[in-house]
Amino acid sequence: MMQKKVGDDELVALFPGEPITHDNAEHYRGRLRRELLVNRCDNCGSWHQPPKPICPECWSTSITPTPVDGAGTIFMAIFLHQGPLADGVDYSTPYPVVTVDLTSQPGVRFTSTVVGSPNEDITIGAPVVLDWTTRGAVPFPVFRLDTKDRAL
Amino acid sequence: MIDSRNPMKNRVAIAGASTTGFQARNTGRSQTSLAAEACVRVMRQCGLQASDIDGICGSWPNAATMQSTLGIPAITWSGNPVIPIVDHIAVAAAAVHSGLCNTVLVYHAAYRLPWNTASSLKDPFRRIATPGLTDPRPGPESMASSTGYTGWAARYIHEYKVPKEHFGLVAINDRSNAALNPAAAMQDPMTMDDYLSARMIRWPLSLLDMDVPVDGGDAFIVTTAERAKDMPLPPVLIQAAALGQVRHNEEDQTTSLRCHGQQVVVEALKAKSDFWIEDIDVYFPYDGFTPIALNWIENAGWCGPGEAGSFLEANWDQARARILIDGRIPVNSHGGSLSEGGTQASGHIREAVHQLQGLAGERQVPHARRALVTAGGFFFNAQGLILHRT
Repeated sequence: MMQKKVGDDELVALFPGEPITHDNAEHYRGRLRRELLVNRCDNCGSWHQPPKPICPECWSTSITPTPVDGAGTIFMAIFLHQGPLADGVDYSTPYPVVTVDLTSQPGVRFTSTVVGSPNEDITIGAPVVLDWTTRGAVPFPVFRLDTKDRAL
Repeated sequence: MIDSRNPMKNRVAIAGASTTGFQARNTGRSQTSLAAEACVRVMRQCGLQASDIDGICGSWPNAATMQSTLGIPAITWSGNPVIPIVDHIAVAAAAVHSGLCNTVLVYHAAYRLPWNTASSLKDPFRRIATPGLTDPRPGPESMASSTGYTGWAARYIHEYKVPKEHFGLVAINDRSNAALNPAAAMQDPMTMDDYLSARMIRWPLSLLDMDVPVDGGDAFIVTTAERAKDMPLPPVLIQAAALGQVRHNEEDQTTSLRCHGQQVVVEALKAKSDFWIEDIDVYFPYDGFTPIALNWIENAGWCGPGEAGSFLEANWDQARARILIDGRIPVNSHGGSLSEGGTQASGHIREAVHQLQGLAGERQVPHARRALVTAGGFFFNAQGLILHRT
């Protein structure tokens, strides 16, 4: 698993337009490995998102960006009929954007799109799992409806 | 933490408010030009010379530009707060009350910008006035900024099982009120069919759920209650102001529709003021997006969560297609952000001042004495202001 750490200049070049800072750079480095990283406090174990330089619960500065499985439930779902230009996004079909409650990180949400399902199936309350596509030259975290629960 | 301490109560006044009026087209003028026109109007209205101003407060242009533009000789305080505009009024009032200065010129120019109208993007001067316009942008997979209201609109519909028509009542009320406001950008009548057939932008919100980008400016004079008494118009006293915010204030991390900045604003205003909704004459819930107004109406206590649409139906003035709470309290009587124009609440405050000064023309509520403005949205900009006239 030894990989050369991607430098700051290269990281910014790989994610044009993303607001990368000293506080969230590890999250973006994680994406390059197809790992969704969420900050966890080494002291009290609580999770927070988006990445902050200090634990909002206990003020410890010992924070570890930690891989999560990304499984969760759709909390908000909207459909963009227009929006920013982006590689692979075609608004001729309204583009879904969802905010997901992460099951294993209570109180923490992550926002992306849903792939692989018609829009009418993308509803608040639907279970999802994490998947990866590509945006530009880099992996991009997305959600996919969790079909194993759909037999119900 | 929220308590009744409010030593500024009734000690600071808004002595006057003026506007350029608003237009939903590119005016061929700069933001500084629009702000300056509003400033000159309000200073003349209040009988003030440039040398009478010793504080300046606004966002765009900054206070230094405004001072040099207006030739204001010397000031002892300035502020460049962020929108919406209760922030500007509140810090100006605090500066006056504390003695940092005596008389503050507060201004706000709404300006059509290249990121929200295509015609502005074609205007080279507006492109130059928007630094970073050509920088790479993040993709669409975000609830940040205005998209967040769409996300919470979807939540509102999901949680309360209400029809889209409930949002439409906010838009129709604004349009009906704007018809009587010469300063308003959008005055053509709007029916529910018009509302429901508007172009979808971000489901569930369509064009008529979103404030209208405009060119235009508002300006205010904020000074001590004593000084305001010597000016030409009746002083409008600032009873209480609040800027409410909760910890989870990122758009996609906000806990719920019942736990955000608006609840803090309401609790603070109630603690710090002598009256509340049952005693007011005009109400201004922010309406930059229609569900914001519904949520304010619920949080202010007019009705329960999810009940705002039904409340508006029950308090609907059929004859004029507008809201009239208890048959007497108009809501956003100037036409709000959706029809007067997207002023980031400067229009709401200006209209509140005009109603209390008897300057609201055909929209005037007889003998209006008390106004409530609840500005801003859910996340990091919920604000409130209680004004009254003795």
